[in-house]
Amino acid sequence: MIRLALVGCGPGASAYFPFLSRLPNARFTAVVDAERERAVHVGRTLDATVDADSLQQLLSRAADAFDAVILHDDHGHRQQHIELAAGAGKHVLVRTPLALSTSAADGAIAACAAAGVRLMVGQALRFLPSHQTVKDSVAAGKLGAAGLVRIHRWECPEGGLTLAQDTGESPLLSRAIREIDLANWLFETLPTEVYSVGRRESSDNLPHPDYVQVHLGFPDGGMAIIDDSQTLPQGGDYYSLSVIGSTGAAYADDHHNMNLLYRGGTPTAIRSGEGLEHIRAQLAEFVASIQEEREPAVSGSEGRQAVLVAEAADASLQAGRAARLVGGRYELV
Amino acid sequence: MSLSERSVDQKTFRCAVLSVVKHAYVPLGVAAHPRFEPVVVADDPAEPGWVHERNEEFAAQLGIPYVRDVERALADYDAQVAVVSSQAERHCDLSVRAANAGLHVIQDKPMSTNIAECDRVVEAVEKNGVQFLLWNRNFLPSVIQAREQIVSGAIGVPYAVHVDFYFSKDSGPPKGSRQLGDPPIDWLTRQIEAHSDGSDGGVGKEPMGELEVEGIYPLGYIRMLTGAGVTRVFARTAAHFHQVNVDNDIEDLATVTLEMERGLLGSLCIGRIGAASHPDIGEIKIHVLGSKGALVITEARPEVAIYYRDQPPKEFRDVRIANQNDFLLMEDFAHALDTAGETILNARIGRDICATVLAAVESGRTGRPVDVE
Repeated sequence: MIRLALVGCGPGASAYFPFLSRLPNARFTAVVDAERERAVHVGRTLDATVDADSLQQLLSRAADAFDAVILHDDHGHRQQHIELAAGAGKHVLVRTPLALSTSAADGAIAACAAAGVRLMVGQALRFLPSHQTVKDSVAAGKLGAAGLVRIHRWECPEGGLTLAQDTGESPLLSRAIREIDLANWLFETLPTEVYSVGRRESSDNLPHPDYVQVHLGFPDGGMAIIDDSQTLPQGGDYYSLSVIGSTGAAYADDHHNMNLLYRGGTPTAIRSGEGLEHIRAQLAEFVASIQEEREPAVSGSEGRQAVLVAEAADASLQAGRAARLVGGRYELV
Repeated sequence: MSLSERSVDQKTFRCAVLSVVKHAYVPLGVAAHPRFEPVVVADDPAEPGWVHERNEEFAAQLGIPYVRDVERALADYDAQVAVVSSQAERHCDLSVRAANAGLHVIQDKPMSTNIAECDRVVEAVEKNGVQFLLWNRNFLPSVIQAREQIVSGAIGVPYAVHVDFYFSKDSGPPKGSRQLGDPPIDWLTRQIEAHSDGSDGGVGKEPMGELEVEGIYPLGYIRMLTGAGVTRVFARTAAHFHQVNVDNDIEDLATVTLEMERGLLGSLCIGRIGAASHPDIGEIKIHVLGSKGALVITEARPEVAIYYRDQPPKEFRDVRIANQNDFLLMEDFAHALDTAGETILNARIGRDICATVLAAVESGRTGRPVDVE
């Protein structure tokens, strides 16, 4: 039995609630959140017996109560938390991105390697049933050589358009990195070319664009193009992924999965969603990698690769130039 | 006055079809409108035999004469409109000659693969005060719907537009099929052969990639929906599917980042992705982001699904319906003639789209962003 500590009980933590009875080899024993009331509530829901204000406090008071941490914290504490957990011999599942720079990612990987603990990057998108199906088709060779990956991700910012706030982090490292990782995963390599553009749509005063496009060139003529928008009005989001291969294609698209609701006037489209199975599958993979003493499906190294590409995309966005992979690093050309 | 009312009891235009070597969709589209009457097919006498054969066949189909002399046909048959559907490298020259003879021009795509040729057309059209329409798909039902939603303000002001334009057609032997010692596939020979299944969109001596053959359609959508020209591109291109593209060093798959006037952004994914890759003609979608919302449009809709025992594998399962694109293009052209207004895709816009395509091809070869001239 792997005992888990959830670090960070903010939005998104509830995604773990439905799976308590579906993780036969794991259970939550501890929760951490700076807001005590929230920690207590989440702890009760997860049947965790220990709560703490911080990871440091948890380690000093109840280090023996858990084997692994799930870092659901904000990016600012991430490196510190990984190093603390690893230093205490705890396995780490960290929500993507692994870090906001490759140097920080290197530090995290080194800390976990030195401690002999597993490091998995929580890239839940890889575990979506639709993405698993697409990946399986690619891996089985049904589509031939992958040639083009196209991803649209449109979301509404928290609080809606009029309350749009920038987190102060590059949208490429904090958001588009999810889709960048998907492209790396589907092509099973790093892109050789990166070009990015963006736009401040909601307000000229935003420190970073709320809309970005990333264009990736992969070896053997492969290519990916990603657009990430945080400008939808309050309500549903939109997601689409397609893969064009040399002998076939896959289309995973919200538009294809819409049903219709009639209540007078123009009918409303309602999406037949994929639920939260991807969260369960990701957690199960993390637990299995610990028990089987193997690298998890999304290793620290793969997480670092996504950070590397996102950094290059950010540099491209700033410079208005393309970046090219040279000797394991990206250089603007 | 509605579009249909406007076309009643108004002047009809005599049309000269200047070469018809592809699958004849342009002159047939022209003929679908009651105000346009093809009266002659004409071409230059020095053209090869296969060109004359196709011209003669089409003339016989319409029951009109075929004349092996363009200038004589224009003079003798009192045509007011020229319909150009020749090999791609001859498009602009035939259009210029028609415009200089005082004819309005309807031209098949691509406009050209040479920007100087496009400039010649723009100059000839404007100097002679004639109308020009580059054939396009801007009046397909879903594209009209997209435009109506944008014009109504439903999504606010558009700031990003993305088009996927995949044709699920084959184009001869697949990539990698060439055996040691085999000669490379000759472009024109392949295009002539492809006439039988309608995949000869790039017919001509000069090899053309998918951006050049089909790029006008998605870029035409983007131009119409935003009104913005493209100023800079970054592209990736590859010969990913077909041996003929590999042998002729031209792409059959491309992605293009579009930077446009007024700071608009966009992208284009385009490819001749093979018949196995879609149940119909191909995934063709338009995504538009605006200041107040967004649109996701499937270009093929409305459509009806048809399945039956022993259905030929290459027959489309989904059949497009209510497609009035040909008629509405010609209605738009007639309106431009009646009012001296502009067509939905005039020579200058066609020239700009050609410049965008050529910049994308260059970007694909260099790996760098390229400004659009």
